[in-house]
Amino acid sequence: MGDVIERFRPLFEPKTVAVVGASTKGGTLPNVFIRRIREFGFRGAIYPIHPSAESIDGLKAYRSLGETPEPVDYAYIAIAAAQVPPLLTEARGRVRFAQVISSGFGEVDEGRALQDALATAARAGGMRLIGPNCLGIHTPRGHVTFTEIGPEETGPVGIVSQSGGLGTDIIRRGLTRGLMFSGLVTVGNCADIGPNDLLEFYLADPQTRVIGLYIETAADGRRLFEILRAARAAKPVVILKGGRTRQGRAAAVSHTGSLAGDDRAWVALTKQTGCVMTTTLDEFLDALLAFQALAPRPQQPTRRVVLFGNGGGASVLATDQFARLGLDVEPFEKQTVDELTRLKLPPGTSITNPVDAPVGTLQQEDGRVAEKILELIYGSGRPDALVVHLNLSAFVGRTKAEVLDNLVQAALRVQARYPGQAHFVLVLRSDGEPALEERKRAFRARAVALGVPVYDEIANAGAALAALAFHERFVYARS
Amino acid sequence: MKAVADLITEARVAKRAALDELAGKQLLAGFGVSVPRSIVIQDAGAAAAACGSLKPPLALKVMSPDILHKSDAGGVRVGLNGAAEVEEAVRGMMKRPAIENARVDGFLVEEMAPAGVELVVGGIRDPQFGPLVMVGLGGVFVEVMGDVAFRICPITRLDAGEMLDELKGAALLRGARGRKPVSREAVVDVLLKVGGEGGLLMTHGDAIAEADINPLIVSEHGAVAVDARFVLAK
Repeated sequence: MGDVIERFRPLFEPKTVAVVGASTKGGTLPNVFIRRIREFGFRGAIYPIHPSAESIDGLKAYRSLGETPEPVDYAYIAIAAAQVPPLLTEARGRVRFAQVISSGFGEVDEGRALQDALATAARAGGMRLIGPNCLGIHTPRGHVTFTEIGPEETGPVGIVSQSGGLGTDIIRRGLTRGLMFSGLVTVGNCADIGPNDLLEFYLADPQTRVIGLYIETAADGRRLFEILRAARAAKPVVILKGGRTRQGRAAAVSHTGSLAGDDRAWVALTKQTGCVMTTTLDEFLDALLAFQALAPRPQQPTRRVVLFGNGGGASVLATDQFARLGLDVEPFEKQTVDELTRLKLPPGTSITNPVDAPVGTLQQEDGRVAEKILELIYGSGRPDALVVHLNLSAFVGRTKAEVLDNLVQAALRVQARYPGQAHFVLVLRSDGEPALEERKRAFRARAVALGVPVYDEIANAGAALAALAFHERFVYARS
Repeated sequence: MKAVADLITEARVAKRAALDELAGKQLLAGFGVSVPRSIVIQDAGAAAAACGSLKPPLALKVMSPDILHKSDAGGVRVGLNGAAEVEEAVRGMMKRPAIENARVDGFLVEEMAPAGVELVVGGIRDPQFGPLVMVGLGGVFVEVMGDVAFRICPITRLDAGEMLDELKGAALLRGARGRKPVSREAVVDVLLKVGGEGGLLMTHGDAIAEADINPLIVSEHGAVAVDARFVLAK
């Protein structure tokens, strides 16, 4: 496994980067890429490649990939499709990884032959090829990114995305949720390197704890199956699969030239390897966040969930949804109910499970009553997972501002007192009103910093916990 | 019994698109799947001599590369009690228009499997993942409701059990509506012999485009492949 890390090191931690397609006038995607990696802290050599210019963006330019002072670890290439194969051939074995951003290859009928020529040229030039028809790589450890700046620290989530645009969404929306990436590679048409190769890297990479794949096709599905089967779910893998319906398969062909394949095989793959299958970008990110924040407990797969928060109807709907996902929101045993009764909470508070505490209850003692309830739930209710949900809108105009602060702090304090005893998840519900959204953002940042995943709706938290439970059950059944 | 690999080679040499029923069952038997005891007769006159070794009730099926759906052609009779009935049934079959005008290789006479739950076990070849094994409850469950479970080969014993648990009609196997539960172990064994490591599909998956054991009749005593069809890869 060690050599897969070494093989991919020039991609994830390049010392030298060549950029093909930048203009002396600036403004092109490659110019933007140069600015972005500088802002992202890249300190290695950057070699613009240009047929005539002396310098680009203040950097000395070179005529071909074969003429740079040092060999190139990573080349970023965005020029007209037909010009790429001759460019790669000229590299003369001095480029390790070339990522071809350009489109106009296998995703269109007239580009199929050109894609074959591209793969041949990459072999002739002695490099591994990523793409074509993609957007780039995001690797905090290497200080290289194709997106606007994100946190420079390396996180635990490794991503392969066959779509470039979706890769951008995964980074930007993921960061908003608190996801931290060990890497994200957009692979496009996969003329050479595909999801399988990068999956092997992430499985071996000590920085990566969770793996996410957006896949439209597995050119070598058998190898994907064998890699995942051999991994025995040692790291959770979340799959977002494009092209699962007849119409979606047709769309995948024109997007990346992918033959998306029989969905029954994909469903089988998840059941045999413990991968989690998701169907929307939100579900995908929500599941990744759960795996990033919560350590799976396969010795006791998640089943019993306690819901605590304000919103009676929301609690009932959530109980239904959790039940459909195989998560039980069952009433407490008598002893727990008795202990909660002794708190003498105001009428209108439901002290079985789900625990529905209206604002009138939650504002008691300026919000500190929640701490007592949560203590009891942890100590006596002993759930596998605890979902605390607060409908922020319900507090507006009724309580002092610090009540919400106190509630959130109380929840975070109690969960810290019971480390590893139950998966703890916070749901902050809002109605989109700007001031409320701003407070939610601040609460989220505080929770995420403490390793608590935050979701927008109880349903999202339910789906993420179900993903975690699926992984736990798989490991439990096969250990 | 012929070597298993020869069955496929012979069918290919004969330019057949599929194995005939007898060859299909020999292939299954070669991998340890139970099939009914049977003999092949060429005409009605041969029935008396041949049927003595088989225990009635018997089933009679026409064997012809021209007939895809034997029942529709009138080429299946069941519940025959002894040689005289078999002989008469063969004569009747020979007069059916769809059979009279077809190439007939012979007639398969089989012991009938004990009554039980009808399952379907199948295999397909996925261009990306290779052989897949399938199980479903027979008849209306598979055809109308699509109540089937697929796995990528090779499957483990645990996978096979999970396939059965996944079926919406799984309760039928556990003995719903006052019936005795059927042998789950027997079904799991068949799934492993077809789709497990070293099983039929892992061994011959490249040569087989489609496998269809329909029905596999499962009782409390075991599972028997009552009909089997293997379409060869082009």
